[in-house]
Amino acid sequence: MANLGRAGRTLIPVAIGCLVTAVVFAQTTKPTSSTVRLKPDTTSIATANDDDTVPDHTVRENSVPQVLLSRHLMREAGVLVGDVVTLAADADGAGSTLFRVAGVYEPTPDPRKFSAQRLEARLHLADLIGLAEDSADPASGDIVSAINLALLDRKDADAVAAAIVRRVPGARVSSTQPSNSPNDPFAVLERFHWAIAIVTVTGSTAFLLALMIMRAEQRRDIIGILRLLGVPSRSILLEVLLEGLLIALGGAIFGIVMAVAAQGAINRFFQWRFDTTLVFVRVTAVIAWEAVAFAVPLGVAAGLAASWTLMRRSVVSLVGR
Amino acid sequence: MTAIVEGRGLTRTFAMPSGPVTALRDVSFQMAPAEYVAITGPSGCGKSTLLHLLGCVDAPSSGSLLFEGRDVAALSESQRSRIRLTRVGFVFQRFFLLPMLDAWENVELPQAEMGAGLDVRRARTRELLEYVGLGDRARHRPSQLSGGEMQRVAIARALANRPALLLADEPTGELDEDTGEQIADLFDRVHADGTAIVVVTHNPLLARRAQRHLVMKRGTLDGSGE
Amino acid sequence: MTSRALAWRTITAEPARAALAIAGVTVIGALLFDMLMLSQGLLVSFREMLDTTGYDVRVVATDAFPGRVDITNASEVAADIAGLPEVRDVAVVRSDRAIVVVPDRPATEVALLNLSEGAERQGWRIVEGADLGAIRRSESSPPAVISRSLARALGLRPGSALPLRVLISGAASAVPLVTFTVVGIAEFQFEGNGAEALATTFDAFQRARASMSSDTADLILVASRPPIEAAATVAAISARRHDVHAFSNEQIVERFNENGFAYFRQISFVLSTITLGFAFLLVTSLLTVSVNQRLGQVAALRALGVPRHRIAATLVWESALLVGAGGLLSLPTGWLLALELDRILRDMPNIPERLHFFVLEPRLALWHLGLIALTGVAAVLYPVWVAARLPIAATLRFETIS
Repeated sequence: MANLGRAGRTLIPVAIGCLVTAVVFAQTTKPTSSTVRLKPDTTSIATANDDDTVPDHTVRENSVPQVLLSRHLMREAGVLVGDVVTLAADADGAGSTLFRVAGVYEPTPDPRKFSAQRLEARLHLADLIGLAEDSADPASGDIVSAINLALLDRKDADAVAAAIVRRVPGARVSSTQPSNSPNDPFAVLERFHWAIAIVTVTGSTAFLLALMIMRAEQRRDIIGILRLLGVPSRSILLEVLLEGLLIALGGAIFGIVMAVAAQGAINRFFQWRFDTTLVFVRVTAVIAWEAVAFAVPLGVAAGLAASWTLMRRSVVSLVGR
Repeated sequence: MTAIVEGRGLTRTFAMPSGPVTALRDVSFQMAPAEYVAITGPSGCGKSTLLHLLGCVDAPSSGSLLFEGRDVAALSESQRSRIRLTRVGFVFQRFFLLPMLDAWENVELPQAEMGAGLDVRRARTRELLEYVGLGDRARHRPSQLSGGEMQRVAIARALANRPALLLADEPTGELDEDTGEQIADLFDRVHADGTAIVVVTHNPLLARRAQRHLVMKRGTLDGSGE
Repeated sequence: MTSRALAWRTITAEPARAALAIAGVTVIGALLFDMLMLSQGLLVSFREMLDTTGYDVRVVATDAFPGRVDITNASEVAADIAGLPEVRDVAVVRSDRAIVVVPDRPATEVALLNLSEGAERQGWRIVEGADLGAIRRSESSPPAVISRSLARALGLRPGSALPLRVLISGAASAVPLVTFTVVGIAEFQFEGNGAEALATTFDAFQRARASMSSDTADLILVASRPPIEAAATVAAISARRHDVHAFSNEQIVERFNENGFAYFRQISFVLSTITLGFAFLLVTSLLTVSVNQRLGQVAALRALGVPRHRIAATLVWESALLVGAGGLLSLPTGWLLALELDRILRDMPNIPERLHFFVLEPRLALWHLGLIALTGVAAVLYPVWVAARLPIAATLRFETIS
């Protein structure tokens, strides 16, 4: 039991370092925004046989056009690949058309609607227009909701958007690059997570300091004897600093390992909960370095601060009772 | 007269990473009430181990131990704890006073544990501190006392519940010669007042004060017996 | 000396350490309290926001809420619903997107709104000037009540002119420009922070949209006639009209809870769990190191006859005092922290003024204290086990030698 006590004394600061790092990680990672590629939607289509080939719309089995259903819709509607389904734009079912389910696809995960059930169907444009057009409106057959563009150089996005607005007044053109606006939901969430991370680190720093003070107090006699022998305070502090650095580094690295493990668990939980393939938490190299940059100086500073109070006391009081 | 403590064939073996170590080998020991016994011997010979067995702090690996006629091996931990609280007093080499309590509170602690009333505790604590010559230092904490004073407080604490047996493990080990003499004098008084004492010591002056002097060597007692 | 008194003396013997431990519990506890508030905050706030409008049922065109498809023949539908015995009041809500065209200024997109006459007070609160109904209408310059942010952005005051063109999605708008006269500046109940909004009369709304003949609406608000419950009104509307879908406030709240608010509920659960685990580990570490520092004392007390349960009780009291003090302090700290976190999250676009992410409810404070207490008890189990299982003789020997 006494050995356990000794081991515990060493392990506990390591564990605290791990915890500080892990919590910093967990709070600063955030749902990643998916980049919507500026390509025609058909490139994200997958058939039930994982065949990436785009079905040729000119090939019709028995003149029934084909449709792809999202995985969620397939499950909800209880249909299988090969089934014939009826689609209508009208809630009453007027103007319905038969389609054959050619395949199932996984919708591109969208962080802005991760909790929504993705009940979607993908049709060839001609089929969709045919389904939704209004016979009273001749122009309705030539209406689309949006046109996606894939640029040769993504950096040209803003310039291209401005050029389109000049040519097509009234058109709303936007780049898929993450917005720099401070009100962007992801920017807001990032600030929110940072605030929580700061609070957590503050709380754990208080505990870390308490533990370091206790640890320094345990070594009071040793520090007193060293000073009595004439070892300069600088050397003692350097030893404390190196020791603190090793412990903090070890703790930070272990914390990164814990964060990666937690990342997997959190992603699996949310992906199960919301039936999505969206990645919610990702520990990137930048985040790992940020956490190390946080945890290591914090651990070292806490150790130095705790030892500093002892260094300021007289030698006699350190080696006395 | 029933012996206070009687051990037969006591053996105590400790499991160490490097292999078992037998600290006591087939030791038999008996002590009468109000007897004063000193046990000396080289470091590591098993003196403290024997003391811990006599005080029901530890259990023998083999052999039998009776405390006031009761088989210690048959007692539960709470029963042994009760014996330590009411019938045995311990004095340690390093005093082990509670640093956040003053002298008064340290002496009062075992009495409170026994359930003694406030008035009884007050009277007894005052009496004991006067007994050990520290009546005017009652409200001083251990950090404000010298080594000898701390040991005297520890002795007062050990006597708080009027034990039948006082066990002292190197009581003068951390003290200078003069202070050690003072402690030895105190033990004489305690013995004269009827308390049995077993003191483990390297100090020959302290050992000479005892009625019976036993020497321990490599886990065995020389001169052991009734 | 009682266990509690001994624990108190132990804690106060090291004031710096005790203060830091309490500070740590306070901060971590504050975060836990905030996560508890976040778990229900949006729901409570949203429900309150809906309930205080005075309407307990909302009718839309499809079964999705909020709906993306307009209700056609809105006036006729509203009149039909108003005729139901279960219904006390009906209000039609129309909205569109428009651009304010002001020379030498960038085009500002605004939400163009219309509420049934008499229901305006449910949509906005006048802070300067007059409401729509108070001014005699002018054909040439219809009245408009604008949001504070729009007034600030364009330097508008009651009496200012406001040219506006409605947007048509995906096309250059050929809808004619309509110049409104600002009659009042208001706080709009459901518009987001900093959102530019403009409300006007039905005629002016139709004229701005150049849709004098169409009668569509986003939403119809319905107030049940007391003592009839919203569920009964929903059933009555559903039975009368098959071309619309009715939802009670409770159903809407439930939908938002499942969808829009889900992220915050889940994140609050995850963070609460992490925080509790974190607090448990930190307090356990602190108490264990504290016990390890005092092994000699503990062994000596056991040798003196102090029973295990007394030593355990002392440790439990130590935990209770540290965690209890921190737990109590974490309530006001958590509240202050919640104000700041709420301010951060409310920077998101389209968050109504009255919607809050963190809402203080007394039962949450009790939950919080209960969880903190549980954590304190769980955290002391290991140190108690260490102290209770201490081999007395070996520890005395070790402490003497070292």
